[in-house]
Amino acid sequence: MKKEPRMTQATKMVLREMLADPAAHYYGLQLIKATALPGGTLYPIMARLERAGWVTGDWEKSVAHIAEGRPPRHYYQFTEDGAEQARAALAGAYQPGQRRRLDFGMPWPDLPGMPQ
Amino acid sequence: MNQPADPASTDPVLAGLLAHISRHRPGADAQLITRGYQTAAYWHQGQTRKSGDPYLTHPVAVATIVAGLGADDQTLCAALLHDTVEDTPYTQAAMRQEFGAEITGLVAAVTALDRAPAEQVSAACADDAAAVALAGDRRALVIKLADRLHNIRTIRYVSRAKQVDKSRQTLAVMVPLARTLGMDSIGAELESRAAATLRKRPGSASGGLLAVAAALLPPEARARWRAEWLAELQVLPTHREQLRFAVQIVLGIGRLAVTLYQPAAAIRRAFGAVLTAAVAASGLVAGGWRAALAVTATVLAVLATVLWTLHSHDRTQRLADLIRALRGHR
Repeated sequence: MKKEPRMTQATKMVLREMLADPAAHYYGLQLIKATALPGGTLYPIMARLERAGWVTGDWEKSVAHIAEGRPPRHYYQFTEDGAEQARAALAGAYQPGQRRRLDFGMPWPDLPGMPQ
Repeated sequence: MNQPADPASTDPVLAGLLAHISRHRPGADAQLITRGYQTAAYWHQGQTRKSGDPYLTHPVAVATIVAGLGADDQTLCAALLHDTVEDTPYTQAAMRQEFGAEITGLVAAVTALDRAPAEQVSAACADDAAAVALAGDRRALVIKLADRLHNIRTIRYVSRAKQVDKSRQTLAVMVPLARTLGMDSIGAELESRAAATLRKRPGSASGGLLAVAAALLPPEARARWRAEWLAELQVLPTHREQLRFAVQIVLGIGRLAVTLYQPAAAIRRAFGAVLTAAVAASGLVAGGWRAALAVTATVLAVLATVLWTLHSHDRTQRLADLIRALRGHR
C-alpha cells in the first residue's frame, strides 16, 4: 500500500478544490488560481498526490489547445478510488472545534484494570 | 451512403471538431462539415504553419472559434475552406460545384476583405451596416475575425516585424470591427493580445528560469514538468505574471525535487546541510566577504520567503478557524 500524503493545510485546500467536481480534469494554473497557493507549493503537492496514487496526470487530448494557440496542458484527475481516499483523509484530518465534541462523545473505559 | 468507415472514427481531429460543434449546435450537418474538412485536409496536405503544425490546424481552429459563436453549417464549412482557394490550386469553380454558391461566396468574401480599400474599411469599423456592406455578408466578417484571432493567438511563431505589423493592424481595424458587430469577447481578446505583443520585448527570462528549475529534477521527470509549466506560462497574459509564476516554481523546486527523488530522511537532512555549506563557501570563493554576505542574505531572504509563504496559509487558516469556533461554539 502506498503511503498517504501528508495532510498539510495546502494539501487540504487542493483536495477540497478538486472534490468540488471529483470527475473533472484540473490543470496546475487553474488550481493555483482557485486556491491562491503559489506554484512552488502546488506542483509538489500534485507530485505527492500522484505518487500516492490518488491522482493521475495526463496530457490534454482535445483540439481546444490548437484553437487557443498554446501547447497541450497537463491535466490532473482523481483515480478510481482517489476521490474516496481524499474525502476520508479530509474527514479524518484535524479540524479545530471538533476536538472538544470528539472528547465528550468518546466513551471512557470504566474498568482501569480491564484485561485485553 | 456506403462509406467503408465513419471518417470521424479514424481521424481524432475531425472527431474532436465534430464533438465541439455538436456541443454548441446539436443539429449541425456533420456530413457537410466532414466534407469541408476532408477537402481542406486534401488541399492543405503537406503545408505547414510557421509553428511547424500541419496547416490544417488553422482552418480547424477557425471553425472551432466560429462554432463557439453559434455559426451555421455554411459558415463552419466556409471557415474550414477559407484559405483553400487563396493558398492552394483549388479553384472557385470547383468549390462552387462541390459546395454550392453560398459557401463559395462566403469564402470569396473573406478573401476579398484583405484587399478592401482603406476608407471603406475604416467606415466599416464605425458602422454595422457599412461593415456588412463591405463584406456582402455578416458571416464573412465573423470568419475573418476568427481567422485573425487564431493568427494572433499563434503570433509568436512569426517574425518580430510581422508581429508588430499584424498587431497594429488588429488594434486599428479588427478590434473596432469586432465591437461594431457586437462580438465583444473576441474584440477584447484581440485587443489584449495585440497590445501585449506590441509591449513585449523579445526574449523570455521566465522560460529560462523554468528550464533551470527543471534541471534540478530527476532526469526522467524533467521533460514532463518543463512542458507542463511552459504550457501554463503561455496562457499568462503579461510578462510580469509569467515571471512571478516562474519565480514561485523556482522557490518551490526543492520540495518538488525531494518529492520526486524520495530520499530517506537522513539523506534529505544531509542534502540540506551540504547545500547550505556549498552556498556559503561558493560565495566566499567567488568574491570574498562581500559576495559571501550578498549570497547569504539572498539565501536567507529566499528561505524567509519560503517559510513565510508556508506558514501564512496555516496562520490565515487558523485565524479563520478561530473566528468560526468563537462564533459557533459560544
